Amino acid sequence: MAKINKTRVPMREQPAEERIKNFDSVPLGYTDEEAMAEAQRCIQCKDPSCETECPVNMKIRAMIEKVAEGNFEEAFLIAKEDNPIPAISGRVCPQEDQCEGVCTMGKKADAINIGKLGAFLGDWAMQNGVTEELHIEERNEKVAVIGSGPAGISCAVDLRKLGYRVTLFEALHIAGGVLQYGIPAFRLPKDIVDYELSYLQKIGVDLRLNNIVGQNIKFDELRWEFDAIFIGTGAGAPRFLGIEGEKLMGVYSANEFLIRVNLMKAYKFPEYDTPIVCGDSVGVIGAGNVAMDAARCAVRLGAREVYILYRRTKQESPARDEELEHALEEGVIFEELVNPTRVLGSEDGWVTGIEMVRMELGELDDSGRPRPVKIEGGEFTMELDTVVNALGTLPNRLFLDRTPELETTPRGAIKTDEKLMTNVKGVFAGGDAMSGGATVIQALGEGKRAAASIHGYLSGI
Amino acid sequence: MKHRITRKEDLNAADYLIEVEASMVAERFLPGNFAVLITVPRGERIPMSIQKAEDGKITMLIKKLGKTSVELDSFEVGDSLEAVIGPMGNSPELKRYGNIVFASDLVCGHAENYALCKALQEIEGNHVTSIQTFPTKADIYPKKELSEAFCDEYYLTTLDGSCGIKGHYTEVLKDLLDEGKVDIIFAGGDIPALRDLAGLTEPYGVPTIVTVRQIMIDATGMCGSCRVFVDGEMKLTCIDGPMFDAHKLNFEDIINRMAMFKEKETRAMEYYNKKILPSVGFT
Ligand SMILES: Cc1cc2nc3c(=O)[nH]c(=O)nc-3n(C[C@H](O)[C@H](O)[C@H](O)COP(=O)(O)OP(=O)(O)OC[C@H]3O[C@@H](n4cnc5c(N)ncnc54)[C@H](O)[C@@H]3O)c2cc1C
Ligand code: FES
Repeated sequence: MAKINKTRVPMREQPAEERIKNFDSVPLGYTDEEAMAEAQRCIQCKDPSCETECPVNMKIRAMIEKVAEGNFEEAFLIAKEDNPIPAISGRVCPQEDQCEGVCTMGKKADAINIGKLGAFLGDWAMQNGVTEELHIEERNEKVAVIGSGPAGISCAVDLRKLGYRVTLFEALHIAGGVLQYGIPAFRLPKDIVDYELSYLQKIGVDLRLNNIVGQNIKFDELRWEFDAIFIGTGAGAPRFLGIEGEKLMGVYSANEFLIRVNLMKAYKFPEYDTPIVCGDSVGVIGAGNVAMDAARCAVRLGAREVYILYRRTKQESPARDEELEHALEEGVIFEELVNPTRVLGSEDGWVTGIEMVRMELGELDDSGRPRPVKIEGGEFTMELDTVVNALGTLPNRLFLDRTPELETTPRGAIKTDEKLMTNVKGVFAGGDAMSGGATVIQALGEGKRAAASIHGYLSGI
Repeated sequence: MKHRITRKEDLNAADYLIEVEASMVAERFLPGNFAVLITVPRGERIPMSIQKAEDGKITMLIKKLGKTSVELDSFEVGDSLEAVIGPMGNSPELKRYGNIVFASDLVCGHAENYALCKALQEIEGNHVTSIQTFPTKADIYPKKELSEAFCDEYYLTTLDGSCGIKGHYTEVLKDLLDEGKVDIIFAGGDIPALRDLAGLTEPYGVPTIVTVRQIMIDATGMCGSCRVFVDGEMKLTCIDGPMFDAHKLNFEDIINRMAMFKEKETRAMEYYNKKILPSVGFT
């Protein structure tokens, strides 16, 4: 047997100094040969822990085996069995905490680049027009899915494959949830999202855009018309720190910043109508994926200095490793152990800076991370003209405000039982609306689980 | 689904009326609701007050202010809009209030005034008074677009006194308040004027509900751009409003933040003028 290469086949990327001038994809993809070489590094474990760690239990070993043989079509079809959007999850999953984190190879050498192989297969299928052949046996029952993010997508696809008549209601004018409005194109190119979503309509899901359940369609109407309902409305409500100065011009929620840039394409203003005002010195509060996305957008919008302002250290950053690395390569400055206390402004109402206090790490808190503690006398200020709050979001409340019959947690997340059914019979929920905020793949997994439960509920199993 | 324009008329030199096919919005419209328009695929999402909804169509009153409203004015009957979304926002409870006054001085304001007068006058026990203010005689809308037909009492004012009563609606209102004839006030339009209104009515203890516009993007409660502060608490105009208790609203914050995109709006306008006007033969 040939000696196995300990290092990953690197994926080509746009160099940092180039990519900060555009919104094109940073990774440039594997060639067929590169993908095969990477897959051939897999030792095909008997008991592949990568599969158990995967929230949708993709058959990763078999998929990689087929890639290694150069049989991309079969590899793609294996991926697609459990995951309707491999080109997307391959790009955004926190693989280091899931499949790649437990990869046997990873114990002595580089873990197999499972994410990039998944993305490669999704792209390959798109370029070669390969889709799975489905033989759908139609059923009469109708299911409404609310929200077209990853949770809604996977629930709709699985139910449709089982033959249910599925209507997918989406509040915005473009489907995809965070995949469209949150995650920037340089990380997740929008032609890929559009392609993966076109699959929904191809298999007969009735997609209704601009339909805001609770607002222009009443929840009761859906309960009347449909035999079961899945709620995947996400957690996109904006959050602010609640400190002085947040009313100043130049203060954004990360969601506003990202919706303007991604959904409304403000980076192409004035060709596109929606503008964004991004200054020269930008402070992004928070250090998760959302913060990295906002910071990297700010770099591309021409900001000269972009800071990540974080209470803890890089080590504790919840962002994907790749995003943190990319952000640093692009010149984002990581200000560790700082806590903003006040946004400072000019007389005419614009941000001029931020007052912060230095922190140090104390004992572990409930989340298992060291608690940041204020250093006495550690106050200082920093000049900034734009502040973006990337503090995590809360469940979208438009829908929940108008459905008091649904039980929620004190933080506004929908309560469900182990089958993902809410307290209202026949109404199920999953994704960020239920978890309060997690990952694409977890939302996807919950959408699938809910589809299975809905199938059970409707067929009396 | 495309939304065809079925009627379009100038209301004065700056404002126009547009009627579009939007069956979903029309069927579910309640007075005080607004719509979100996307005029072209590359367009922004802009909130627009709805004046009336009939036969699967909605009518909106629009001021030529920024790029989108100017561009939309170049559309003609038979052209279509990319999206008309709604109805959005909340409607006030349609019930018996007693002596109600509606006051407005701008497009958004005049539209709600019309819709609310019409709905509330039909309810027994309501005495509806409307005050509409225009800068000068030439700006007054055609009679059929005013709320006069749906009121028990109607006052028209112009700022320069060229027609009707001279002055702003606040001046008529002051007299009505002094007479003790007002149980509730609804108002919409210019934000600084609404702030003054709040100051005027507070000593009288008359409930004052104002329709506010703050910059919106998604209009579904996800971005926070439309945030306002009511009694110090953050509210979102798109899903909690657009009507708020004027005595609890922080007007200074609204007025300050509305300026945030001014420079960009000017740039969008310049870009539009350069790109579009030459091609349709203007110089
Ligand atoms: C900027 C950003 C970056 C992220 N990066 C990553 C990453 O790299 N990796 C990762 O795994 N996760 C990431 N996440 C988290 C991940 O995107 C979410 O966990 C995931 O999208 C949740 O999916 P969902 O389907 O529950 O909700 P969403 O994706 O939020 O979709 C909900 C959808 O429901 C719609 N909706 C809401 N209310 C209504 C209503 N009343 N009627 C109709 N439709 C409605 C919304 O418009 C939206 O389209 C990121 C999140 C953000 C914001
Ligand atoms: S417009 Fe985005 S929250 Fe209201």
